[in-house]
Amino acid sequence: MRRLLNILASALAIGLGLTTLLGLLSGEGALGVLTSALLQIVVIIAAVAILLGLLNLLIIHIVRVVRLRRGFLYSLALVISALTVLGLWLADRDDDTAALLQTAQLSVESALAGLLAFALVYGAYRLMRRRVTWGAVVFTVALLIILVGALPLREVSGIAQIRDWLLAVPVSGGARGLLLGIALASVVAGVRVLTGQDLSYRE
Amino acid sequence: MTPELIGTWAGFVLTLMVFSYLLGDNALYRLAVYIFVGLTAGFVAIVTVDSVLLPWIRLITETPDIGARAFGIIPIILGAALIFKISPRFGALGNLGLALMIGVGAAVAVVGAISGTLLPIAASVPDRAAGADDPVGVFNAALAAAGVICTLVYFQYSARRIPGSDSTQIGRGTRRGLVTRALGAVGQGFVVVTLGALYGGALLSGLAIFSERVAFMLARINGG
Repeated sequence: MRRLLNILASALAIGLGLTTLLGLLSGEGALGVLTSALLQIVVIIAAVAILLGLLNLLIIHIVRVVRLRRGFLYSLALVISALTVLGLWLADRDDDTAALLQTAQLSVESALAGLLAFALVYGAYRLMRRRVTWGAVVFTVALLIILVGALPLREVSGIAQIRDWLLAVPVSGGARGLLLGIALASVVAGVRVLTGQDLSYRE
Repeated sequence: MTPELIGTWAGFVLTLMVFSYLLGDNALYRLAVYIFVGLTAGFVAIVTVDSVLLPWIRLITETPDIGARAFGIIPIILGAALIFKISPRFGALGNLGLALMIGVGAAVAVVGAISGTLLPIAASVPDRAAGADDPVGVFNAALAAAGVICTLVYFQYSARRIPGSDSTQIGRGTRRGLVTRALGAVGQGFVVVTLGALYGGALLSGLAIFSERVAFMLARINGG
């Protein structure tokens, strides 16, 4: 039974994957309609999967609270905050839900993003402290040019020009190379799935 | 006290709790992060149900065609079957939905990568060189093109095996060609400069957000 299901899973992945590929490339006709239906089906499966994941998260933390495990107070805060949002939504209090999103959610989100600056500064400091390599030096020089060039001071207008050139030429070239590399890797990974060489979903 | 004011002060307290991390990992920071995860989980659930699942369920319940209804239930069953992944015995049942997602996702990724990245970027590099009319412009366009090529060469991992070497040790038994090595070294330089610039951009964004948060807190303290 298990073997049969695995074969069926491979058939689904390869068959419907190739159908979607052809549908997306042709874009019209019955194949296009079928592709659109397949994409909708995948979105629904993904949505159900997300809900299952969230349910799993809540169950894990509720169990932690009930069994009074270490850090159960944090879990309690998580469960209460999640249930508050869901409760407000179920009670049709859209204004309160939006206010919660605007105040609590966005505040923590932007505060965490602000903390990132400190983490990045510390990371750059450690990079040069551990071992000085030519790569680390070039990285730090590029970083400093970007930072100093962003200062709104007349004294550093020369560095601002270097910064603009750096962004327009070498960084543009390097970023395009990286994006092309990512795209090529995506194509290779996709083709491996579509040709049945990658069967990791059966594990 | 209005709900808006309560929300604003809640935002102030949560921001302070997150910034307490600058003094080291502590209970207040962890509490803020757990609250954040709980809120995010709640909002993600709302968006998923409200924008994706409910419209789909409405669509399949309102259609009079029995076949269309049965077809509409299939993705919900396949999605729910993912729960069997936790069981070693029935885990294969969950593979069906996963396989469908991965197969269709792979096709979308291939088409997206080709039409969204490969073709536009490959076309823009010669376009830029052709558009340059002065020597500096030509040099810059050539340098950018060299950056693209060398970066790609840097990520090329095929190499020749050295005869008689121990091939089990990674990087010891193989050698890349001289041209590949030289272009790869230049490519590494471009990658390092690019990552440094992106790091700088992220740092500037982080600082801007941090200063906005500090301004928000000062405004609350001053009664704004």
